[in-house]
Amino acid sequence: MGDGRVGGGANRPAWLQQYELVGKIGEGTYGLVFLARLKPSHPHAAAGVGRRGPPIAIKKFKQSKEGDGVSPTAIREIMLLREINHENVVKLVNVHINHADMSLYLAFDYAEHDLYEIIRHHREKLTHPINIYTVKSLLWQLLNGLNYLHSNWIIHRDLKPSNILVMGEGEEHGIIKIADFGLARIYQAPLKPLSDNGVVVTIWYRAPELLLGAKHYTSAVDMWAVGCIFAELLTLKPLFQGVEAKATPNPFQLDQLDKIFKVLGHPTIEKWPTLANLPCWQNDQQHIQGHKYENPGLHNIVHLPQKSPAFDLLSKMLEYDPRKRITAAQALEHEYFRMDPLPGRNALLPSQAGEKIVQYPVRPVDTTTDFEGTTSLQPTQPPSGNAPPGSQSVVPRPIPRQMQQPMVNMSRMTGANMAAFNAASQAGMAGLNPGNIPMQRGAGAQSHPHQLRRKADQGMGMQNPGYPNQQKRRF
Amino acid sequence: MAANFWASSHCKQLLDQEDVDKVPQADSDRGITPEEFRLVKIHMSFHIWRLAQQVKVRQRVIATAVTYFRRVYTRKSMTEYDPRLVAPTCLYLASKVEESTVQARLLVFYIKKMCASDEKYRFEIKDILEMEMKLLEALDYYLVVYHPYRPLLQGIVNDTYKMDLILIHPPYMIALACIYIASVLKDKDTTLWFEELRVDMNIVKNISMEILDFYDTYKIDHQRGLPEDKIAPVMNKLPAKA
Repeated sequence: MGDGRVGGGANRPAWLQQYELVGKIGEGTYGLVFLARLKPSHPHAAAGVGRRGPPIAIKKFKQSKEGDGVSPTAIREIMLLREINHENVVKLVNVHINHADMSLYLAFDYAEHDLYEIIRHHREKLTHPINIYTVKSLLWQLLNGLNYLHSNWIIHRDLKPSNILVMGEGEEHGIIKIADFGLARIYQAPLKPLSDNGVVVTIWYRAPELLLGAKHYTSAVDMWAVGCIFAELLTLKPLFQGVEAKATPNPFQLDQLDKIFKVLGHPTIEKWPTLANLPCWQNDQQHIQGHKYENPGLHNIVHLPQKSPAFDLLSKMLEYDPRKRITAAQALEHEYFRMDPLPGRNALLPSQAGEKIVQYPVRPVDTTTDFEGTTSLQPTQPPSGNAPPGSQSVVPRPIPRQMQQPMVNMSRMTGANMAAFNAASQAGMAGLNPGNIPMQRGAGAQSHPHQLRRKADQGMGMQNPGYPNQQKRRF
Repeated sequence: MAANFWASSHCKQLLDQEDVDKVPQADSDRGITPEEFRLVKIHMSFHIWRLAQQVKVRQRVIATAVTYFRRVYTRKSMTEYDPRLVAPTCLYLASKVEESTVQARLLVFYIKKMCASDEKYRFEIKDILEMEMKLLEALDYYLVVYHPYRPLLQGIVNDTYKMDLILIHPPYMIALACIYIASVLKDKDTTLWFEELRVDMNIVKNISMEILDFYDTYKIDHQRGLPEDKIAPVMNKLPAKA
């Protein structure tokens, strides 16, 4: 893989020369994410469009704190992604090291969209739900990737919409890629109880056994998160928006549990026998055991008939007892995926012939930041709007690990119009662009080659034996 | 991968004995023979083991560390990559990969304590952190390692890490060889059991012979490792740290 030798002037490592930097697309506690293109001269550049090389997302891990070395997050990502290979898992194409400043770079195939942005676009701009075919295809592919991970004894542990990437136009248009393996683990033979890793899974997608302090947990925690994501795809709103109680070493999260119980009803020892052994259930008699929750109403929230296969699948994902919760392999076999419309390889195709294609916005790119993370030029701006330059970093973030993954989760600014939707919760919004500086993206990105490619692409799904039988009209 | 050795990077990277024994050019230029190359690897495996006892990590972490160490020298020379620094750094990296991180400063502390008499073994935190990155590169970022462990037979299995077997054979074959040795030593007839496994008994017996040869040749004291007069001249052939 990468070659860390220093070449050229200014201590630039030689590997850097193979990329053309487009700009910064994300920032988080781990470091920065850049969009780059392989230079046309590069041997792998053939996959690019026209004469431009293929887009690559480069995740730069910050120089480690004194004495810590390479961060465990980076180690986990490298270790797992170097072993796995699946259409629905993000592809690590290279690792680079810059010995001069001890920084580490992971290069991934670039994905233009993610579920967080797709859901947001429907909620705020289109105000109509995501079509059924798209929801089903996204869910099927997510389960397909997850089934691969779980059958290889990997728990992702941080599934949420912003970690589920969707490929933009090109050969893999509309294909899901599960990303961010910074919390993922092999669980076949852990040397320590998994709970020693501290809090996992962003709170809204966290399974009840984790909220109640389970020491040992399984791949079922990922399936709970998939259930939450499924509901969010249907309603465009996070299903359980609890407020995280921070700064306690205790995993117990009363508000989040409260939100869950209000929708799903009270868990009982009869339905979930091991509940009695969970530390927080035992210790917190008055709050959770004493409170009475009535009228579970999941079907009302997701607007699904209680007898429908979609509702049946969703409620099996949101089963309280992790041992009874549906597995990814079982879910893929569910009736929901055998009925019309069948899921397809390109989830972003229109659901019916003649229907308008939804154009999802492309990722904003900050072209003023270089690989060192230093802002080269800050165009002068009239201090207009609600977001003066530099304000994007002060957004309060109640959600942990919000900014910890590649290609997405860039530090978005909180727009003033976000009050309607729990603005404080999912990081900031309005992109990286302080003060709406006009941004340049690559060069003429959306031109004809894509359109042609899309047509050529339509036959491909038929050949993929992994998909359920396709309807002709999809391809 | 984690469930499937056959699909893993470990499986794809298995080597032939000749490739493992090959002394890197820079080292043979310094007069290091294949036998001496092997001695250094045994010696440094002990070093990792002893250091690991101090910082109290589990067996699997040690096994992963030794595997990294041995893998590095199928690609890099000891002249360029000082084994006295590579060894503790392998332990450091393995501890992260196996989710039981040992702090670099703790390693540095125990190395100083253990090797008080020999300045060449002593390094600073900064050295370990720099080497960690070089190791990642030298390992080509392949970090998942499988081991032939099950709780039984730990003693013999541990000894196989004083050899390069883990680079050459799949872990299950090494494990079978260990079972074979144990059964012979205990005078148990296992012919039938092995027949039912339908594995190539020639390979199992060859690995077993290698392990027994190793015991005969080196007669290693498990507490102290290689005798000083045997290893010291070899270590002196390697360049002192810059």
